[in-house]
Amino acid sequence: MLERTLWVSALSALPSNELIEITSKLSEGWTLRPKSVPQAGLGMLQIKDSAFHQAFYLGEFPLASAWLEVTTLDGRRAEGAAQVMDDCIEIAEALALCDAILSAQLPGWEKVSMMIEKGLTLRNTINKERKMMLARTRVDFSLLDDTGNGEGLNNVES
Amino acid sequence: MGYVAIKGGAQAIEGTKDVFEFLRTSQNDSHALPLDVGTIENQLRLLHSRVISEGGVYHPTLASLAIKQSQGDTLEAAFALRAYRSTQPRLVETPVLDSKNMRVTRRISSAFKDIPGGQMLGATTDYHLRLLRMELLNESPENFRKVTEILFENSSIDDIPDTFPKVLDALRAEGLLPEVNETTDNKKPFDITREPLVFPVDRSAALATMTRAEQGSLLAIAYSNMRGYGDVHPTIAELRVGYLPVLLPHPITGELTEVGEVEVTECEVVAMYEGDNDNEATFTLGYGACFGNNEVKAISMAILDRALQKGMNEEPANPSEDPEFVLLHIDGIDSMGFCTHYKMPHYVTFQSDMDRLRTTQKKQSKKESQL
Repeated sequence: MLERTLWVSALSALPSNELIEITSKLSEGWTLRPKSVPQAGLGMLQIKDSAFHQAFYLGEFPLASAWLEVTTLDGRRAEGAAQVMDDCIEIAEALALCDAILSAQLPGWEKVSMMIEKGLTLRNTINKERKMMLARTRVDFSLLDDTGNGEGLNNVES
Repeated sequence: MGYVAIKGGAQAIEGTKDVFEFLRTSQNDSHALPLDVGTIENQLRLLHSRVISEGGVYHPTLASLAIKQSQGDTLEAAFALRAYRSTQPRLVETPVLDSKNMRVTRRISSAFKDIPGGQMLGATTDYHLRLLRMELLNESPENFRKVTEILFENSSIDDIPDTFPKVLDALRAEGLLPEVNETTDNKKPFDITREPLVFPVDRSAALATMTRAEQGSLLAIAYSNMRGYGDVHPTIAELRVGYLPVLLPHPITGELTEVGEVEVTECEVVAMYEGDNDNEATFTLGYGACFGNNEVKAISMAILDRALQKGMNEEPANPSEDPEFVLLHIDGIDSMGFCTHYKMPHYVTFQSDMDRLRTTQKKQSKKESQL
């Protein structure tokens, strides 16, 4: 199974209405109690400048977060949490529910696992397209090899 | 400067909203459809990138909406995004992210042809003829869709890695770049959204100000340096565009978890070397990065970063090296606000100007008549 740190990335590739609809069905009759107040707002992105390795703020991004305690109809209890780059609390709650279901293998975990597989496929398609753009525009300098110009990084001392 | 409260304009002001909307919707074509936000994000992606970068918040949907409602005015659109962000609570800060993890879509170097991982031009107009493509005037939906269907046939991606090494790391390993100062590595960056710039400012404040600056302003000042009011003489070690995974600790496990990704353009320039008898000679560096695909902006920022370092360490020798001059004149929202405020009624101040002019004229004519 995909590691937990990538569940949000995979699941958030799915259409949000599909995610919310499926998780609502899976949790019908369950008790959902927020462990912290679900929130939507902004996160601030810190990045390391690669020249001097100093941190600075690149800018903000929307963020929704949720942390739930779930009790199933047969009394099983689990916690799930999620933060996602979105401004919709409902999506964060659906992701937190998936986190709880899958981490504790609550009823319906196979369905969530399938959703993750589907999301992962969508992510892989996007990554593949990006790589195809690179492959299509890769520069072939081999024709210049005969010129004797030391313009590679391996030749920086020459 | 003085202002006077005025009455009687409310109806006219309401009317401007209607007329502004009228022009947006009055396309003389019965098949005309409103722009959807996805179309703006994809088909006007570089305009979209500019707004997302100058707005300072990576919200692709709202950036499209801002462009739509401002009818393509980048400054107004960025203003709307900034206004949105000011209504939102700040929930978290990410840990310091490393652009080595970027999922690259374009990567070039003008310093070396053979960079580790290779050069990949990606989506760019750099090598295109700047001629109008008349066939786009009557582009059919079928032809439009066909492009994505056939473009990548027969492309092999087996040897394309997920991430690429940085050119600067290779140069640093060769001893050609200054050592990284690890003591500044853990320093808390300056937050320009929370604190005003009071000079002298930290480099992190300069980088944060430039990353959401207006592209044209940044370019103009960097251009002054390129043309001769400065001596950076940059070489682009690496320019990359790609998607940076945004990581946050999982609330339960604490493990770094991917919550999304942001498109980023990043540029590192190598500039004139420095060194003397006491200090080993190394190249100097400049760094630029911003949201979206904005290459002119990232390059301009890298050049100005280098120029400002000089101005911060020594006396500024030209405007582009002066942190106060550069950082206080590149924000699009600030400068647009100051500029457009001149459209507001200045009736009192102008009345005063006229009174003084008339008095002066009277005095002058009195003097002339006495001669």
